[in-house]
Amino acid sequence: MDFTLSDEQLMFAETAETLFYDLVTPEHWRKLMESGDARDAALWNQIVETGLTLIQLPEEAGGLGLGALDFALIAEKAGYVALSEPLVDSAGVAAPMLAALAPDDPVLADPAASIAIQQEEGGLVLDADSAAAIILRKGDQAFVASPDQVTLTRRESIDPMRRLFAVEWDDSKVQPLGQADWDLALDRGAIFAAAQGLGLAQRAVDMAVEYAKERQQFGKPIGSYQAVKHHLSTAQTAIEFARPVVLAAAATLESGDIQSRARISHAKIVALEAADVAARTSIQVHGAMGYSWEVDVHLFLKRALALTSAWGTPYFHRQRVAARLFTQPVGPSTTFARENENG
Amino acid sequence: MKLGFSAADEAFRQECAAWLQEQMDGPFADIRGITNLVSKVDRRRLWEQQLAAHGWSCIGWPKAWGGRDATLAQQVIFAEEYARAGAPNRINHIGVELAGPTILAFGTEEQKAKFLPGIAAGTDIWCQGYSEPNAGSDLANVRTKARLDGDEWVVNGQKVWTSLAHFSDWIFVIARSEEGSQGPKGLTFLMMKMGQPGIEVVPIGQMNGEAEFNETFFTDARCPADSLIGSVGDGWRVAMGLLAFERGVSTLAQQMQFRNELDAIIAAAKANGMASDGVVRSRIAKAEVGLRLMRYGALRMLSNTDLSAIDGAALTYKIQWATWRRDLGELAMDVLGQAGEVVDGDNYHWPMLPNMYLFSRSDTIYGGTNQIQRNLIAERGLGLPREPRGNL
Repeated sequence: MDFTLSDEQLMFAETAETLFYDLVTPEHWRKLMESGDARDAALWNQIVETGLTLIQLPEEAGGLGLGALDFALIAEKAGYVALSEPLVDSAGVAAPMLAALAPDDPVLADPAASIAIQQEEGGLVLDADSAAAIILRKGDQAFVASPDQVTLTRRESIDPMRRLFAVEWDDSKVQPLGQADWDLALDRGAIFAAAQGLGLAQRAVDMAVEYAKERQQFGKPIGSYQAVKHHLSTAQTAIEFARPVVLAAAATLESGDIQSRARISHAKIVALEAADVAARTSIQVHGAMGYSWEVDVHLFLKRALALTSAWGTPYFHRQRVAARLFTQPVGPSTTFARENENG
Repeated sequence: MKLGFSAADEAFRQECAAWLQEQMDGPFADIRGITNLVSKVDRRRLWEQQLAAHGWSCIGWPKAWGGRDATLAQQVIFAEEYARAGAPNRINHIGVELAGPTILAFGTEEQKAKFLPGIAAGTDIWCQGYSEPNAGSDLANVRTKARLDGDEWVVNGQKVWTSLAHFSDWIFVIARSEEGSQGPKGLTFLMMKMGQPGIEVVPIGQMNGEAEFNETFFTDARCPADSLIGSVGDGWRVAMGLLAFERGVSTLAQQMQFRNELDAIIAAAKANGMASDGVVRSRIAKAEVGLRLMRYGALRMLSNTDLSAIDGAALTYKIQWATWRRDLGELAMDVLGQAGEVVDGDNYHWPMLPNMYLFSRSDTIYGGTNQIQRNLIAERGLGLPREPRGNL
């Protein structure tokens, strides 16, 4: 039992943090929103050069073959800057699936190529137009296509930096990949969404804390008043308790058993709840400024909203937890020790 | 990062589980499963002495003082197995978890030799004299006075909400030793013998019909001059240092009790059909998720070896579990329906879930209210400015 992170894990996370904090600035967000571009070329090049797209890719496919925990730490940093470049779903979910089904696919050989993935049959696909390959779903079967083999229609997201597409496709014109492990994809997508949620939440609180220290009313910083600081404490508490379960869930994701699946659901629910409460609190603390387009807090509220529904809604994940609770025996001999068995 | 335990740890688990099981099946079956701190106290004193006789009373302490120098993982395992076996809540948890570690950290060698063996042996039960009628959330507003009279301290004043004072052997007290001082300055931390003529204990009834806490009156109560921890006027630092020990491994044992309570709710929901109600299922799932959060939060917190750093998890732990359990109490009563309203017998003695509902109303108050916790999180954790206090 050990909750400490390895030096390698911390080093990758720190590299990502430095890169993101330098380049993913409010000016960067404004530029992407105004241009409608999928990515900033300079930023994407640096993401690729630092190896962030290779973390979850197996070594046989030219990747680093690291685990979900390593990538979750990167996703958390991506959440902190509301990254909209297609790193998390592409490198965290789509690339490992393609590597499992078609290890020789040339797209995998290009670390700068992004891969989009359809979460559920008929569902919208994130960043489909800029992807080198799109993984599509029909039943349990997976297919891969390039954007020009399918018809893409942009669908506006409530999150102005999220680029969603409806996909029309003919399965005779795309390449079949056979049966895929969609449960694993869901677990990966959910845990990396949860990790992003932690980052979103912390950023929303940090922004509000800064503002509450500066903004004065009745002759004092508003952050000195309990009516204000208590909201922020509640949000920070949610983050503090979401983070260990996200890390624990990521650390055991690969085992894919009933306990680790439940842990993913716990993490997905609470991390996005933390992001939601933090963003709502941050808006309230910012007062009328918080409702304005100019102050960036709304971007975090909207990203939290979008990620809450992505990779399994809270309802879906709660049902997964409830199903396990009501079908498994309860009692002292079945509780905490058992979950340690797969650790 | 690793969630599981090593083979050596699992062997240790087998060892303590077997011993606890044997005790709870055999000689101490009559006190199995007691969660309150007031029933069958005499039997429970014997139980804690039995723990001590077999080296299980304070395993995290140094070997030299009756402990086992147990690793964190071993302490976690013992806490889990203790709760799993249904062993009763420790009536001397204040001695083992608070007084002992404080004496180990801040006490002199003479004080260690005087006080630690009795705690380790389970013969000296301790209580905590902090709160007063006018020093609750504003704890530093202590008015109880301590005056040095020759080779003795003489203490006058009143403490309140003193849990277990009615059967404790010792009490630690923060008292104002400097005439005219205010707030955290001028306080001294004293260890006093209970049962002396100058200390009167009056139980306070609780809304669940039990009486775990008391008013404690000091009228020329006495203790030797060397009964202080730290130096004269330095009591606040010791008192706050002690509170840091409250985030100990016992939180994990507490979670096993919570686990039992949630399992009882699930069983009740299955039995009365509420388990098929979608809203109830969702609330139960939410409670389950909350319990897991606490577990990983506690493990993460306990893994933090740098105790000097401000630890976000440690700052937020109290409000998290207290609020979770208050919600659990509400869930329990909603699941039970009318069955939660009536009790068999005439003693106002409640079964686990209704009792937990009543007790849980105190969780967000004692040990620092939710409101005080939020101040601490905001000011120490987030660095927000202090709200001006009236008396400082």
